[in-house]
Order: sequence, then C-alpha cells, then structure tokens
Amino acid sequence: MNHQAVSFFVAVGLFLMVLVTASIYAYVYSRRRQRRVYGDWNTIFERFTKIDRHSVARIALDFLSESDEDESLFKRDGLVAADEELDPSEIWPLIGGMEGLEIMRRNCAVLVDMAFYVQQWYPEALAVAEQLRLNAREIGWHVDRLQGAAKTGKLEAAFPDYAQRAITTYYLMTRRVLALFEQGDFPGLFELQRAL
Amino acid sequence: MHLTGIDFLLWAAGLVEHLVLLGVLLARRRMQAFPVFAALITTNISRTLALCLMVLDHCTKHHYLVAYSWFATLDLALQLGVVYEMASHVFRPMGHWAPDVRSSFLGMTVISFAIAAGLTYLPSRPPSNAWLQSQLIRGNFFSATLMAELFLGMVVLSITVGLPWKTHAARIAQGFGFYSLVCILTEAAHTFLGMDHDARVSSTVSYFRNVSYLLTVGYWTVTLWVQAPAPRELPDEMRAQLFVLHRRLESDLGRLKAWRRQ
Repeated sequence: MNHQAVSFFVAVGLFLMVLVTASIYAYVYSRRRQRRVYGDWNTIFERFTKIDRHSVARIALDFLSESDEDESLFKRDGLVAADEELDPSEIWPLIGGMEGLEIMRRNCAVLVDMAFYVQQWYPEALAVAEQLRLNAREIGWHVDRLQGAAKTGKLEAAFPDYAQRAITTYYLMTRRVLALFEQGDFPGLFELQRAL
Repeated sequence: MHLTGIDFLLWAAGLVEHLVLLGVLLARRRMQAFPVFAALITTNISRTLALCLMVLDHCTKHHYLVAYSWFATLDLALQLGVVYEMASHVFRPMGHWAPDVRSSFLGMTVISFAIAAGLTYLPSRPPSNAWLQSQLIRGNFFSATLMAELFLGMVVLSITVGLPWKTHAARIAQGFGFYSLVCILTEAAHTFLGMDHDARVSSTVSYFRNVSYLLTVGYWTVTLWVQAPAPRELPDEMRAQLFVLHRRLESDLGRLKAWRRQ
C-alpha cells in the first residue's frame, strides 16, 4: 500500500471514529432525554433545583415596566413593586453569583422538558414550548457571555447587564410554565406551584 | 455485462422491498408528510427496473455506466432533498425556521460539503480504465460521506438546540445514517480496489453494501407502518387559553428585545 493510500485510510478511519462517537453520544443523550420528557413526571421534576423566587422576582421587577399585567403578576406572588431602583451590585448576592446563574440555566432545560411533557399529549402547546425553548437558549447565551467575562476579568462590568436579562427571562419562563400547567390542570401542578 | 444469480436475486429483493415500502407510504398516507422521500423510493424502483432491463437487453458496459451515473446524480439530488425535508420537520416547528437554528444549519451544510469534497479528492484517481467509472467511485464516496455528515449533524444540532424529532422523521434519518456509514466503508474500499464487477473482492464489497441497503429499506418499511403515538384532542377552552398564553410570551419577548436595543 502506497503512502497516499495509507493517509487516505487514516483520514477515513479518523472521520468514521468521529461520526461513530457522535452517533453514540446522540443515541445515549436522546434515550436519556426521551426517558425524561416522555417518562414519569417525577423524573423531570426531581431535576429542578429551587432558587429563591422572591429574589428572582425582585430583579425581574426592577427591569420590567410596571404595566397592569406585570403588577398582577407580582401581586399573585405576594410581592409589591419596589419604589427604588435595584442597585446593580445587589444582583450578585440576590441570585447567588455565577453558581446561581448556572442553576438557573439547568432549570431552564427542565422547564423546556416540562413544556414538552405537556406537548406530547397536546400538540397545540407547541407554540408555548417553542417560545420557552427560545427563552432557555437566550438565558444560556447570557450565562455563556458572563462565563466568558469571568475568564477575561470583566465580570464585574458585565454581570448586572447580562445577569438581569437572563434572570428576567427566567422569571417570565417560570410564570408561563406555571400558567400552562394551571390552565391544563396537568399532573404535578402542586409540586410545580411550590417550586416556582 | 455478465451478472451472477446473486446479482439478480439482490435486484429482485430490492425491487420487491421498494414496492412494499411504497405501498406502506401510500397505505399509511405518509406521502403527504414525506413527498421527497417517496419520490426517492419511486426513483429507486425506476432505476432497478431500467438497469435490469438494460442488462437483459445486453447493453454495452459504457451505456450501462452512463445510465447508472444519471440515476446516481438524481439519487444524490433527491437525498439532499430528503435532508431538507427532515430538517424542515425538525427545525421548523412553527412552520418557519427556528431563528436560532438557521445559521448553524447553513454552517453545518457548508462544512459537510467541504469535508466530503476534501476526503473524496485526497487519493489520486481511483483504479479504473474508464474515466466515467472512476468519477462514479468518487461520486459515490462523496455522496456517502456528505449524507452521513448531514444526517448526523442534524441529530447533534437538534440535541444542542433542544428540538425533538418526530417519530417517523427520526426513523428515516436513522436509516440513512446507518446506510451512509456502511457506504463510507464500502466506497473507501472501492476507491482503492476499483469497481470492476468481475473482481471477486470488489463484488463482495458491493454485495455487502446492497445487503445493508436492503436491511435499511426493511427497517423503513416496518417503522413507517407503525403509527406514531396518537395525540389527545385539545378542548376548545384550553385551545383559547393557550392562544392567549402564546400572545403574552410574544409580548414578553418583544419587551426584552426592545430593552436590548436601548
């Protein structure tokens, strides 16, 4: 076998190795996700990590305009709009720093799974599930940017900006998922109300 | 052209399997959901019949290769169409491309084409007396590499962005993924062994590919026959509530975007 043949077969072998590894990863991941999304409600729910919802709401309230809809949203959670604007330095301890944001990102994946759990029975819920998925992706991007800023030592400047966007989006996601489950009177509503 | 009993047996099996699959697509009304895939299967039936008739009519090897090349080109075009069809099922959940997917999908396609072309032109011209035959070997290898990359890339992309596959689209893609991986192996072998059907090793490699394809068509037939889990019907009241919820989500997103522009 000449040199060219050897390099060709080595290249094809490496290429196949990458493809097979990616196939195995895709298979294992999709099996796990299938069990999560199409399986038992408790398996989805036990992945959810509690975050202090009052802190999340406080940060979100600072961002959102005080329209009637928003006020009703906060009243429902037993909150009142703060008179003074939130100082950016207050966001970090309220959310629990980068760790809190990372938990929030993981929770987003759970919220999307919850929406798909509903969607498997009611395809009309697709629009809501898709919107939640996009929100989850958005939060993911913001957290990625913050992690990038942490590596370059610019976290202090970037945190109030990106973190508040991510937290507000997260807050709206939780409210929408809760509303979706309340409207459909789906199983697991009680646990969800307590967690969100 | 000299063909053995095994060749005719594989041809007959392929024809029967394709006809059964087409029957399943018709009977289960899958043609509306997968028109390009149905067109690919129909083309394969036409190809099997046309090439078989040419051989029985004692055509020359050159004429056979010309016809084979035309069908192979059409096959590649339709397979690319099937890729687009599957991508539409997964990445257009609301009837339009999901905004976070479009550029990634385009990038993945461009990179897949570049890698497939690079691997195809890595070795010098495959061993063959006929120019057309060597181009066919290259074309088959390029097609197999590209399809494997695209189908697998779509699966990985869907996992990354969190979009689920519908049952039948997933089965079609799995079949293509498996067959493309086998084809990479067989076409890599053909690249160095040549595609002379009278050479024992080369024909054994071809039989291996044909049997893999028969298995794939069998898999499609069974999985496309089985119905996907039936969804429940949404009560009218809840349909209206979901509509309101969707409007609110859109409004939330609008506000977030407006804020971002400030």
